[in-house]
Amino acid sequence: MRKTFAVIRREFIERVRTRWFWVGTILGPLLMAGLIGLQVLLAGRKAGDRSIAIVDATTTGFGQQLTTQLGSAIARFHVTRIPHAPSTPDSLLGEVEAKHLDGFLLISDSTLEFGTAEYRGSNVSSVADMEQLEGALRRLVFAARLERRGIDTLLVQQAEIRIRLATHKVSGRKLTGESGTQSFLTGFGMAILLFVAILIYGVNVMSSVLEEKTTKIVEVLISSLRPFELMLGKVIGAGAVGIVQLTVWIVSAKLLSGASTRLGPGGAGGFGSPGAAGGFQFPQIPTTTLIIFVLYFLLGYFLYAAIYAAVGAMSSTEAEARQAQVPVQLLLMIPYVSFFGILNDPNGSLAVWMTLIPFWSPIATPVRWGASPIPVVELVASLAILLVTVVVVTWVASRIYRVGILMTGKRPNLKELVRWVRAA
Amino acid sequence: MPEPIVAVDRITKRFSGHTAVDALSLSVAPGTIYGLLGPNGAGKTTAIRMIMNIIVPDEGTVRLFGAHGTGRDQSARIGFLPEERGLYPKMRVLDVLLFLAETKGVDRRSARIKATEWLERLGLADWRMRKVSDLSKGMQQKVQFISTVLHEPDLLILDEPFSGLDPVNSQVLRDTVVEWGRRGKTIVFSTHIMEHAEKLCDNVCIIARGKKLIDGPLSAVKQTHGGRHVAIAFDGSGGDSAAAAVLADRTLVAKANDYGQYAELELAPGADAQEILRRLVGAGVRLSRFEQVEPTLTKIFIDLVGPDAARAAAVPETAHA
Repeated sequence: MRKTFAVIRREFIERVRTRWFWVGTILGPLLMAGLIGLQVLLAGRKAGDRSIAIVDATTTGFGQQLTTQLGSAIARFHVTRIPHAPSTPDSLLGEVEAKHLDGFLLISDSTLEFGTAEYRGSNVSSVADMEQLEGALRRLVFAARLERRGIDTLLVQQAEIRIRLATHKVSGRKLTGESGTQSFLTGFGMAILLFVAILIYGVNVMSSVLEEKTTKIVEVLISSLRPFELMLGKVIGAGAVGIVQLTVWIVSAKLLSGASTRLGPGGAGGFGSPGAAGGFQFPQIPTTTLIIFVLYFLLGYFLYAAIYAAVGAMSSTEAEARQAQVPVQLLLMIPYVSFFGILNDPNGSLAVWMTLIPFWSPIATPVRWGASPIPVVELVASLAILLVTVVVVTWVASRIYRVGILMTGKRPNLKELVRWVRAA
Repeated sequence: MPEPIVAVDRITKRFSGHTAVDALSLSVAPGTIYGLLGPNGAGKTTAIRMIMNIIVPDEGTVRLFGAHGTGRDQSARIGFLPEERGLYPKMRVLDVLLFLAETKGVDRRSARIKATEWLERLGLADWRMRKVSDLSKGMQQKVQFISTVLHEPDLLILDEPFSGLDPVNSQVLRDTVVEWGRRGKTIVFSTHIMEHAEKLCDNVCIIARGKKLIDGPLSAVKQTHGGRHVAIAFDGSGGDSAAAAVLADRTLVAKANDYGQYAELELAPGADAQEILRRLVGAGVRLSRFEQVEPTLTKIFIDLVGPDAARAAAVPETAHA
């Protein structure tokens, strides 16, 4: 046990000493902070004023009406009306180029009839501008059409009042105070974190195994340590680094979420207004979710780290190992890419199966939990299956590891692997 | 006779098709410096790996310190230098030594003291906080040697300890081995360089193609194969043809090697050196030297494994487990 501890200690210290550890640990929260800062910045900044001309080719008074209404609908749009003449579009293009105008809208009678209109400008790539313009245009045309049929303006205004659907997640017969968007974000965030963390630390174990093999130091180690002690020490040591790094990330995410709530415009309601920039907010992560997350991270990590240790042991070069680990990575990717499906139907058969299959449950279960509570029976079954698999896979991996670390030359095929596992 | 420190009983290891070690038995008494000699591919490394329980013999048993159990169980008492050297290139020299000592069960504090002592002694004190990869190959070898002896093992097992070392460092290492031997430690080392073995060993075992050819105390080995060689030199005042006639007598001389300054004769079976002397003097040959010589280990080695060695070299020694 003391020897295993020496391995854990070495693995941990040496990894923490690398530049990459610090870059990764600090860069994670910095990226998050940057993201929030950017959002706050975008939200805090008033989107710029725009000068727009309406080239009116209508024969009714609609163009005139639209000009005044559009100006009042979007305050930052300064709208001028120019009667249509064959040469106007060309001369306006010059105005746009000279930056006197941001763009111009071409409307005609068919705008009301068939809903066609054209906008030419330098700001067409601004999603916010175009969404607002199109939205306002749609509403105004809609109202104008109804009015033309003699429907009361007041009635039209009343009919226009939109529904805002507030979503709240229910868990354990009570409101969690979490909105649908937040649930989604929690699930998404967990899927990314789990996938990245398990992959990174698993690959760390692999390269550590490979390093000892290629530098030949493993022969000295094996003369005083049992292979299993060595493998276990590596897995735990690299995992401890992962825990430290994840803790830093999660704590800083928590702190940042508090900071962003204070800084962010409109606080909790920030997500309600689509199209408006900003309002990004870190979801509050309940403790149970955190426990589930950590539990599945640990089990998932042990499962994949053992596999990665075996992959490292059966390879002789870095290139060979990279190639050999592709199937493992793909296996881990399956629950990651299907997180959307899980979130869409957290109690559907896809989600349930993903919760139960041990190679996928480490990512799938926390994601599913983030979206909807999981029946206790399923959760217990998922954990039990995963735990048993971890034990079995670790055993098999240690058998492969034991033989593999002293092997050089050709990578073994499946038949040889089976023989390694069976070897006494 | 005291219980042997290493008792190997008919160990055999086969690798896909060829037998690397074939029913090898040997026994190393406490306090001896034991040379495991053999040409490339003789199975030395495989034998040592089996002694260390890094690979398991197909047949036969290994007992260390008279106890059952494996080399790993006794690892605190064994220092092992494998044929293929290796350290963690990115670790600091001192940290590597501490870690390796820890895996032998030494606590970090005393390991630190001893490591510092050793580094100073081998002229590496200034390098202890440097990365291993910053060191030259020779320095790395010294660091690895320190890691082998840091925990003051009773038994040292060194696989080709001198390969890759320059004469100066080779001498440093030889001195250390001799000193270790004087302190009553047991040392087993393999080599294919007979000069090293001749200088260091009190016991040898020569193997070729996985089989033991001879073993025992160096003096006994020399005796068995010795006393059959005579070096002669003429004083140059004639009688060469008379001498040639005597030396051509195959009942007396099996083989004569003329080295120019002197000639070395190998006696024919049953021949007596004194008879040759009598015949030469009787023929009027004037001798400036007539000496019965002990054969060098190299000579014995070549005589024993000569024909085999060339063939065995085709089999790679780094065997696959």
